[in-house]
Amino acid sequence: MNDLIVKTIVRWVIPFIQLFGVYVVFYGHVSFGGGFSGGALIGASLILYAITFGLKASKKMVPHKRSQWMESLGILWYIALGLVGIYTSAYFLGNKAAGFYMGEAGQLLSAGIIPLLTIGIGVKVASTMITLFQKLVEENEDV
Amino acid sequence: MISTQFPVYLVIIPLAIAVILPLLKQHRRLIQSIVSLTVGLMFFLALFNWFELHSFGAYAYNFGGYAANLGIQFYIDELTSLLVLFILFLSFIIISYSFADIPHELEPHQFGLYYSLILLLLFSMLGMVYTNDLFNMYVFMEILSITSTAIISIKHRKANFLASFRYLMLSSIGSITILFGLAFLYMVTGHLNMFEVHKVIQSVWTTYPMNLLLASGFILTGLGIKSAMFPLHVWLPDAHASAPSPSSAFLSALVVKVYIFAMYKILFRVLGTMMVKGLGIDQAILIFAALGMVFGSIFAIGQRDIKRMLAYSSVAQIGYIFLGLGLMSEQGLAASLFHIFSHGLMKTALFLSAGSIIFATGKRKLSDLDGIGYRMPVTMIVFSIAAFGMIGIPGVSGFMSKIYLGLALIEGQHPIYLALILLSSFLNAVYYLPIIIAAFLKEDPENRHAMKMDPLPKRMWIPMVVLAICLIVIGFYPQLIMDIIEASLPAYLVG
Amino acid sequence: MFDVLLKHMNYIAAMALFVIGLYTVLMHQNLIKKVIGINIMETSVFLFFVSIGMVQNGQAPIINLKDASVTYVNPIPSALILTGIVVAVSITAYSLSLIIQLYKQYGTLNLDEMVDEVEHD
Repeated sequence: MNDLIVKTIVRWVIPFIQLFGVYVVFYGHVSFGGGFSGGALIGASLILYAITFGLKASKKMVPHKRSQWMESLGILWYIALGLVGIYTSAYFLGNKAAGFYMGEAGQLLSAGIIPLLTIGIGVKVASTMITLFQKLVEENEDV
Repeated sequence: MISTQFPVYLVIIPLAIAVILPLLKQHRRLIQSIVSLTVGLMFFLALFNWFELHSFGAYAYNFGGYAANLGIQFYIDELTSLLVLFILFLSFIIISYSFADIPHELEPHQFGLYYSLILLLLFSMLGMVYTNDLFNMYVFMEILSITSTAIISIKHRKANFLASFRYLMLSSIGSITILFGLAFLYMVTGHLNMFEVHKVIQSVWTTYPMNLLLASGFILTGLGIKSAMFPLHVWLPDAHASAPSPSSAFLSALVVKVYIFAMYKILFRVLGTMMVKGLGIDQAILIFAALGMVFGSIFAIGQRDIKRMLAYSSVAQIGYIFLGLGLMSEQGLAASLFHIFSHGLMKTALFLSAGSIIFATGKRKLSDLDGIGYRMPVTMIVFSIAAFGMIGIPGVSGFMSKIYLGLALIEGQHPIYLALILLSSFLNAVYYLPIIIAAFLKEDPENRHAMKMDPLPKRMWIPMVVLAICLIVIGFYPQLIMDIIEASLPAYLVG
Repeated sequence: MFDVLLKHMNYIAAMALFVIGLYTVLMHQNLIKKVIGINIMETSVFLFFVSIGMVQNGQAPIINLKDASVTYVNPIPSALILTGIVVAVSITAYSLSLIIQLYKQYGTLNLDEMVDEVEHD
C-alpha cells in the first residue's frame, strides 16, 4: 500500500499516541489507566506503524530479537521487584513495609512499588502486542 | 520456619526460567541441564517445605502483606504440599524421559520452546494448587489451559492442530463459565478469598439458594469440562492421543488432576459440605461419575490406537475420582485423593511405555503389538504392571484405591455403585489384558524367539522402571500416602 | 413486571449475550465464527461482572483528596475484568494463530471438512 495521505497522517499521529501511552503508564497510580492500558496504547501505535509501512519497516523498527528481550525483561523486572519485598519485609511484592518510597498521595512520585511495577507491565504489554502482530502477519504471508 | 517463602519461590522460579530459556542459545545440552536443575531444585524446595509443615502446621501466605480480604493469598497445608511434591516428582520423571523422546517428535528449533511451555505449565499448576483466591485461581487456570493446549499443538501435524483447537474452544467455554459463576459468588458474598467467601456463605446460603445454585452450577460445569467429567469429556481423547507422549503424560496424569483439586477446593473450602448436600450437588456428581466409569471403559474397548485407548481409560478413571468426591464423606474424599496419586503414577507409566513403543517401533495400532514383549521386555513389563493396577490386581496401587473407594461406598450406604466399580474393573480387564497377552504370548511375525533388551536410551527406560517400583511400593504400603491424606483431611471438611 | 425486568437488565443482557455466544461456538462450523462466539461469551461475562460493581451516583474510584464524601463505584470488578480482558486477548491471539496453521494444513476453515479429512487418513 502506498498512500501518501495515510503515511503522512500516521507519521504525525504516532508520536502523540506514544506520548499518551507513556503518560498513561507513568500516571497509572494517580489517575485512570496503568501498565496494561498504556502498554496497549504504545503497542497499538507500533501496530499502526506496521500496518501503514509494512512488515519489513516494522521489523526494522522493532526487530523480533529486541521485542523478545523486552518481553522477558518485563516479567523478570516484576519478579525482581517482588523479591526485593521478600528480603526487606518478608512478603513477596511488599510495598510500604519493604521500604519503597511512599511519598504523598496524588503526587507522581508516590505509592512505592506500584509505578515501578506499572513500567514493567507497560514494557511487557507493548512488546507482546507488536510481537503477536508481527508473528501473525508472518505466518499468514506464507499461506 | 525457614521455608515460609518457598511456595512463592516454587511459583516464580519456573516462570523466570521459562522466559529466560528462549533468550539463550538453543543448545540442546544447555537447555537440558538448565531444565533438569530447575525442576530438581524445585523438588528439593518442595520437599523441605513439606518436612517443615509437619512440625509447624498449615499457614497462609499473604502477597505484599495485605490482609486476607484485600490481597491474594496462598494457603499451604499438608495436602497441598504433598500434591506439589507429587507434581514435581512426576514432572521430573516425565521431563527426564522427554529429553530422549522430544527430539524424536519435534523439530530441533522447538526443543527450547517446548521446555519453556513445560515450565509455564508447572508454574500454573503449582499456582492453582497453592492459591486461596478465587480470581487468582481463574487466572492460573487460563494460563494452564493455554499452555496445555500449546504442548499439543507444538507438534506440527494435522491432527494435533485440530485436536488442540477443539480443546482450546471447549476449555475456554469452561473458563468463561467459571468466571460467570465467580461473578455470582462475588455478588452474593463480596469476597474473593476462599475462607472469607465460605464464612459468608455459611450464614446466607438459605437466603440466596438460587444465586448460589447458579454460581456452583456454572463453576462446576466449567471445571467439569476442564477435568473431563463424563458427558463433557469429548475433547480429551483427541487431545491426549495426538500429543507427543510426554505431553500426554503431563495432561493425563497432572493437568486433569489439578483441575479436580480445584474442584475439591470449590466444593469443600468455598461452598462447604452443608450447602453442597443441601442443594443436592453431590447426587449429580455421583451419577455423572458412575456414567463416566462405565462408558469410558466401554469406549476404550472399541479403540484401535494405543494412546486413544489410554485416553478413554482416563475418562473412566476420572469417574472413580469423582465417585469418591461425590460421597462427600471423609473416607470418600480420602479414597478419591488416593486415586489421584495412584492414577497419576499408573497413567504416566502407561503413556511413557506407549511412547517408547512408538519411539522404538513406530507402531501405534493395538493389532500390531503381537510379540512386542520379546523385543521390548522392560517397557512391556512396566506397561503390564501399570495395566494390572488399572484393572485392580492386588499388589499394585490401583487395587488399594479401589479397596478404599469400596469401603467408602459401603460406609456411605451406596452399594449400587460398588457393583458399578466391579463392572468397570471387569471392562478394564477386557481392554488391558488382550494387549498383555498379545505382547507376551503371541508370536512376533517379524523376528521370532529372539529375546532382546529394549532398543531404548537409558534416559527412557530408567524413569519407567522408577514409576513401576513406586506403583508396587504404594501397592504394598498404601499407608505411606494414606496416612498423610487422612491426617490433613479434617481441615477440609469443616462446615 | 416491567420494573423488575428493567431493574435486572444486566442479568438479562448478560444471559442473552452468553447464550448467543454459546450458540455461535457450538453451531457454526466456521472456525473464525467460533472464535467470535467465544469473544461474545467473554464480553457477556465481563459486562455482567462490571455491572455488579456499580454504585448509584458513584464516581470513578480515584481518591478525591479535597472532598472525602464522594462515593465511588466498586473498583475490584473493574480491576478483575481488566485481567479477564488480557486473558481473552491471549486466547484470541492463540486461537487465531492455530486457525492460520489449520488453514495451511487443510485448505479450509470448515470444521466438518477437517474432521472428515482426519478420519479418512
